[in-house]
Amino acid sequence: MLALDRPLLFFGGKGGVGKTTLAVGRALQSASGGHRTLLVSTDPAHSTADALGTVLGSAPTAIEPSLWAVEIDPGDEADRYIAEVKERIADTVPPRLVAEVERHFDIARLSPGAEEAALFDRFTKFMDQVGTTYDRIVFDTAPLGHTLRLLTLPEQLQAWMRGLIERRRKVGVLQRMWENVRSSGHPVKAEVSDDPVLAALEERRARFIRARNAITDPERAGFVFVVLPEWLALAETERGVATLDRHDIPIAAVIANRVVSAGAEGQFAAERRAEQSEVLQAIDQRLARFVRLCVRQFDGDVRGVDALRRVGAASGTQARRGEQMRSVDWESLPIGGRVM
Amino acid sequence: MRAVYEELYFAPYRSQIRREYLRERDLLFLSGCSDLLGVPNPVAFYSLELYPEMLEHWHDWHRRMGMPRAPDGGFRCC
Repeated sequence: MLALDRPLLFFGGKGGVGKTTLAVGRALQSASGGHRTLLVSTDPAHSTADALGTVLGSAPTAIEPSLWAVEIDPGDEADRYIAEVKERIADTVPPRLVAEVERHFDIARLSPGAEEAALFDRFTKFMDQVGTTYDRIVFDTAPLGHTLRLLTLPEQLQAWMRGLIERRRKVGVLQRMWENVRSSGHPVKAEVSDDPVLAALEERRARFIRARNAITDPERAGFVFVVLPEWLALAETERGVATLDRHDIPIAAVIANRVVSAGAEGQFAAERRAEQSEVLQAIDQRLARFVRLCVRQFDGDVRGVDALRRVGAASGTQARRGEQMRSVDWESLPIGGRVM
Repeated sequence: MRAVYEELYFAPYRSQIRREYLRERDLLFLSGCSDLLGVPNPVAFYSLELYPEMLEHWHDWHRRMGMPRAPDGGFRCC
């Protein structure tokens, strides 16, 4: 399997390195191969729609045959999440408490962390759709810190959820026992099997566990580091790699973007190329255990579906582990997709 | 007569169950609403469904503790 064929790909890296361009390019290429592909932007400062030259919302929009795209807006997600919770428990709240419960939910909506929590909830729901609605999902993520948090949340949250669920279950059992004995041996009601509160918490926890299992499975998911061939970017990438390793998140590939190609003429290009080739050599040595790819510097801005498709074709080529990165010249690579 | 014997049998059992039930509810309240005590609860947003029960529990609790009205800083149940 090619590194970039994993069903879940997370494109990440420092701000401005071209994550969006490469993620969109990859998604276009995947879709043109007939795979139902969803492109999801989790960056609160979205640029996916701008890159595609279209308008995206929080529901998947069809871009091309087999390609859908969505931009998750944390504010919208928090509103939607609160509305869902309100609806779910509407039948279980005694009328005298309704006003106070609603007040509390509105406070929760405004609390710090609410939007991140709602974003994460939606994120795990999308991951659940791989294999059913979609074949692949390409995530265009926010700069690294934010994304690492998103990817490492499930392991932390599910343990807390488990504690809460177990305690709540125990209280439910004791409550039924208490209700049975308080009226002197006349059973009040039989075992309650349908507990909507517990069901909601269990569903959420199960989904977090599924997300965690998917994210850490190299057959199913991979992080794609986008890096510019510059020393500072390399240092940050190495730190990011160490963090992902610590959380068992597999890395599908490292892509060096905006590499000045051998064909570029002029003194400026020659100097840049000399500098870049040193960094690329360092990437080859230090990140040798990953698939490494190069995408060349284009003449102008890469915008619109056709330009992005060219990038996608480039980043989907068959560079494999162990190949020398600098020897992978974008121009001469076998093209993996349909090029316009 | 039968009722008296039944009561003799059930009374200690009943108070034991009640104590255990209230103790567990207090613990659930502590873990579900730890932010009220200033201890962050990372899953507060993912356990909002528990809130109506917590509110009722809070009400029971403050009355059990001899406070006819809810103390400040918690939920405004009464």
